[in-house]
Amino acid sequence: MAVRPQHMHDGGIVERRLRPIYDWLDNGNNKKALQEAEKVLKKSPLLQAARALKALALFRLGKASEAHVVLEALADEKPSDDTTLQAMTISYRESQQLHKVCMLYENAVKTEQSSEELHSHLFMSYVRVGDYRSQQRAAMSLYKFAPKNPYYFWAVMSIVLQAKTSEDNTKRGILLALAQRMVDNFISENKMEAEQEARLYIMILELQEKWEDILKFIESPLYSQLVPGNTAQACIPYLKKLGEWKRLNIVCKELLWDNQDRWDYYVPYFDSVFHLIEENEEDSESAIDNSAEKCHEFICSLVESMTSGRTLRGPYLARLELWKRLAVDGDPTSLIGSGLALCVQYLRVFANKPCAVPDLRPYLGMIPQKEREENCREFLTCLGFDENSEPESADDIQRHVSCLSAWRLVAAPLPADGALALATTLRGHYLRCLKKGLITSTITEFCAADAYGILAAHHYYYAGVLQQSSAPVVDALCLLELVLHHSPANFHAKLLLVKLYHLLGNALAADSIYQRLEVKHIQLVSLGWLHCARLAPACVASRALQLLADTRAFLKHHGKDSVEHLTYAYKYGTFEKLVELGAWGARLEACAWGAAAAREQALLSQLAGPPTLLHQPTRLPLTAYDNRDLNVIVNYEPPQFQDDQLKSRTFDQEVTYLRLKDALVSAIALCIELADSRPVEEKKGHYEQLNTCVDAFSAAMDKCRQLYCEKERISISAPFPSRIIAFVNSPVPYRELYATALRLVGALGVARAPAAHDACSAATRLLPRAQQLLQTELTFKGDPVWSMRDCLESLSNYLEFIGIITFLLGVCNELFSPANTKKSKKKTSHSPDELKTSELLNELNQTVQNSIGFLENILDEWPKYEFANNLDENFAKLTLDDKYQSPVESKLKNGRDDMLTDVRNILKRKSKYLKTLLQ
Amino acid sequence: MTTIRPFTCEDMLKFNNVNLDPLTETYGLSFYTQYLAHWPEYFQVVEAPSGEIMGYIMGKAEGHGENWHGHVTALTVGPEYRRLGLAATLMNILEDVSEKKKAYFVDLFVRVSNKVAINMYRNLGYIVYRTVLEYYSGDPDEDAYDMRKACSRDVNKKSVIPVIHPVRPEDVD
Repeated sequence: MAVRPQHMHDGGIVERRLRPIYDWLDNGNNKKALQEAEKVLKKSPLLQAARALKALALFRLGKASEAHVVLEALADEKPSDDTTLQAMTISYRESQQLHKVCMLYENAVKTEQSSEELHSHLFMSYVRVGDYRSQQRAAMSLYKFAPKNPYYFWAVMSIVLQAKTSEDNTKRGILLALAQRMVDNFISENKMEAEQEARLYIMILELQEKWEDILKFIESPLYSQLVPGNTAQACIPYLKKLGEWKRLNIVCKELLWDNQDRWDYYVPYFDSVFHLIEENEEDSESAIDNSAEKCHEFICSLVESMTSGRTLRGPYLARLELWKRLAVDGDPTSLIGSGLALCVQYLRVFANKPCAVPDLRPYLGMIPQKEREENCREFLTCLGFDENSEPESADDIQRHVSCLSAWRLVAAPLPADGALALATTLRGHYLRCLKKGLITSTITEFCAADAYGILAAHHYYYAGVLQQSSAPVVDALCLLELVLHHSPANFHAKLLLVKLYHLLGNALAADSIYQRLEVKHIQLVSLGWLHCARLAPACVASRALQLLADTRAFLKHHGKDSVEHLTYAYKYGTFEKLVELGAWGARLEACAWGAAAAREQALLSQLAGPPTLLHQPTRLPLTAYDNRDLNVIVNYEPPQFQDDQLKSRTFDQEVTYLRLKDALVSAIALCIELADSRPVEEKKGHYEQLNTCVDAFSAAMDKCRQLYCEKERISISAPFPSRIIAFVNSPVPYRELYATALRLVGALGVARAPAAHDACSAATRLLPRAQQLLQTELTFKGDPVWSMRDCLESLSNYLEFIGIITFLLGVCNELFSPANTKKSKKKTSHSPDELKTSELLNELNQTVQNSIGFLENILDEWPKYEFANNLDENFAKLTLDDKYQSPVESKLKNGRDDMLTDVRNILKRKSKYLKTLLQ
Repeated sequence: MTTIRPFTCEDMLKFNNVNLDPLTETYGLSFYTQYLAHWPEYFQVVEAPSGEIMGYIMGKAEGHGENWHGHVTALTVGPEYRRLGLAATLMNILEDVSEKKKAYFVDLFVRVSNKVAINMYRNLGYIVYRTVLEYYSGDPDEDAYDMRKACSRDVNKKSVIPVIHPVRPEDVD
C-alpha cells in the first residue's frame, strides 16, 4: 500500500524533504528510503515524520528491533501530526501490532482535542482490533463536536456489534434497546437521511425479532423516501416470520403477475400456499390461494398470460415445483398430471436453451426411479430425435444434446459395453459436426455441439470405471483434447481433462490443462481440491510446493487486508456489509484447506524443498470452514447416485486428515525444539509434550483405521477419495514408523540413552518390513495404468516418511554431535552409551539409505503408459485436420517420465544428505 | 426463472461456473470486497432455483458535476444461461440504481472485438461514445469502446454526444 498520505497539509519545506523518502518507500526501495531519511534527520534530527518513515524503512528491511526502538521513542513523545501518525500506523499494521495504533491516537486526540480527523483515525484504530466499546465511545465524542450522521451511526453500529457478540442475553437486550432508541430519536427529529441508516435500523429490529415494527417501518413514508423501490418485496421475509400467510399470499401473487420469472417470489408464494393448506380454513371464495387446486390454477393462468414474445421459464418451473412439493406426502398426478409428463413438457418447450437440463435437474429425482427408467426414452424422443439423429442447425443441435442429456440423467445406468457403444455414437456426432463445419465456437465462446463430446467423455469414463480399465479413459481424454482444441473457451472440457488425467495418476498432464483454467485468487481456495490437493499424492512434490505456496500467499495477504475492508464499510456507511465482511474474514481465516495447505507445505518441504527449518503453522482453527466448490464439474449420473452427504462426509475426512498432519507437524516442531543446546532439565516440558503428541497421533491413526475402512466410490464430479483412507489403511505400519522415529529424537533430546537405543533399533527393524509391505501395496493388478493413481498415492505416503525420517536423522545428528565437538581437534572420549548410540544411528541411517535404494528400484520398474494397439486407430479417427496431433499420448508419457525424474532427484538428494550424517 | 439478490462474499466461493469463462476476469479478493463495502446496491447476482449463480453485475457511481454517472465494472452471465435476457435484467438494475442516485448517464468499457456484447449494449440503448486506445493490456493490447446511455437527469442528452477522436487510457476520467 502507498505510504504517502492522501492529503499532505504542509505544502512547505517538510513535505519537500520527505518526498524522496515516500518515493523510495512506494517504489519498494527501502534501503534508499532509509538513507534518505538519515539524510533528512542529519539536518533536523527531531523531525518526527522523518523518524517515523525511518522506522518503516527499517521494518521493511527486516530490522524489526531497530524499528521498534525508533517507534517506541516516537510514541513516548505522543505525536499528533498526521504524517507521523500515518507512517507509524503503517509500521504497526505491517508488524501486526494494531493495538499500538489505538494508543497512538488516544494520545494524539488528547493533544489535539478538536481534530475531527484524529478522532476518526482513533475510531478506525478500534475497528481494526474489534474493540466495539471503545469504538462507540470514540464515535460519540466525534459526533459531539462534528454532528454528522455517519458518526452517529458509527456509534449505533458499534453498540449493535457489542450486542451481537454478547453472550449475556440481558445485556444484549439492553444494548439493542439502546441502539434502537438512538435511531428512534433520530427518526423523530427527522434526521435520518441515508438508505444504509434505514437498513441498520431494520437490522436492529431484526436482532430483537420485532417483525411487526419492521413491517410498520417499511410501510412508512420515511422508508420509501430513503429506500426507493419495491416495498412489497421488502415485506416478504417479515410476513413469513409473522406467519401472515394470507397477506404473504396476496403480496406474492401481485408481484408474480408483474414478474413471472422471479423465483424469489415463487418460493414464498408456495410457502404461503402450503401453510394455508395446512391451516385448512373454509375460505374457498377469496382471492387467496389456500389449496393445491387454486395454486395450480394461478400458475396456469400465469402460463396463459404469456402472450407475446419470449416464453418465460418461471411459470413452467413453478408447476414442477408445485408437483415436487405436493409429492412429499401424496400423489399429485390426478391434479396436475404425472411429474414425468411435466418434465418432458418442460424439455419440449426449452430444449433449445442450454439451461433446460440444469433447470430440470432438481426435479428429475421426484419421478419414481422405476417410472423414470421405464419412460426414459420419452425425454430423448419428445422432439422427434433419437440417439442416431443428425441435426444440422445450431438450434437443433442444442435441442438434440438437451434431449440426450436429459435422457441419460433419468435412464438406468448402462453396463460397460452399453456405455462404450453410446460413447462411440456420441463421439460420432461430435466428429460429424466437426466435419460439417457445425462447430461454431470462437476463442471466447463454446458451442452446443461440444456437449456431444462432453457427454461421450462421461460415458467413456463410466465404462472405464466398470471395467477398471484405462483404455476408455484415454479415449475420453483424446476426445476432450480435441473438443478443447476447437473450443478453447470450454471450461467443462478443461475440468474433465484435469479430473481424468488425475484419474490415470498423471498430475503433470493434468497440470497442462489446469494452467489453462487460469485459477487464481479466491479460486485457489474454492478449487484447491481439484488439482493442488492431488499433486502431492501423485508424487509431483515440486509442483505441489509451488501451488501450495500460491495458496498460502493468497490467504496470508487476505488476512492482512481483511480488517481494512471493515474500515471501508464504516467509511461508506454500509453497515449490513460490515457484518458480512467480518464473517467472511473469519471464514477465510479458518479455512480448512488453508490450514491443510500450510501443513502439507511444511511436511512436503522436508521431502522436496530446499533445506530449511520447519515452520510450524499457526494453530488449527477451532471450527474449520469448508470453502470448496464441489459443483463446478457437471455430472450426468441419474438421481439415485446423487450423494447428499458427499460434501459433509468428505469434509470430515479432510479435517481428520488435517488433524493427523497437524499432529505430525507439531511433533516434528517439538523435535526441533528438543535439539537445541539447553540443559536436559529445561527440555523436560517439551519432551512430555512430544510424548503426548505422539500418543495422540498413534491413537488417532488407530481410530481412523476403524472409521475409514470402507473404500469410497469414485465419482467424476467429486474429489478423489480423501488421502486419509489410503494412509490409515496402508499395510505399511506408518503409525509405528512415525511414532518410533519421533520417540527416538525425543529420547536423545533428553539424553535417555536406553530409550533412544530401543527406538533406534526398533526403527531399524521396522523399515525392511515396511518395505516388503509397501511392495505388496504397490502390486499393479490388472491394468497397470488404472491402478497408477492408487499406487502413486501409496508411494507418496512412503516418500513423505522417508523425507521426514531423513530430516529427523539430521536432528539426531545435531543432538548427538553438536557442531562444536565435531570441530574440536581433541579426541573426545565417548562413553559406551554414546558409542552405542552412534553405532545404532549409523545402522538406522544405512537402513534408510537401503530403503531409498529399494525405492529407486521400484521407480526403475514403474509401469509405462502402454496403450492397446487400437490407440493409433483412435487417433486416426479423431484426426480430421492434418495439422492436429492429439497431445494425449505424449502428455501421459512425458508426465510420467518427468514425475519419475523428480522423485529420483529427490531421493538422490536425500541419500547424499544421509551419507553426510554417517559418523 | 431467476432470483435477483445482492451479491455476498460467499458467492465468491461458488462463482466458478461463471468465472472460468475466459472473458470473465477473476479479480483479487479486495477488489470485490471494496465494491461490496462501497457500492453494495450496484453489486447484484442472478441465481437459478438450484442455487447456481447464473450471472452478476458489479458497478459503481463516480464523477463530479455533470460527469456524475453509474459505471459498469463487470457484467457476466454463465454460458449455460445466455440468451435468456439476464444481462439486460442486470443492466436494468444498474440503470435503476443510477437513476435513483441522480446520475447523468451510465457508461461501460467493452473490448472492440466483443461483438456479441457490443450488440447487446446497442440493443439496450447504449452508443459508442468514444474509443479508448489500448485499454486492455495483453498481446497485443486491445482498444475499448466507451459506451454510454443517458439517464433521465441529462435532459438534453449532452452526455451521449460521441467524441470523434479516440483517447488514451490515461485521459479517461
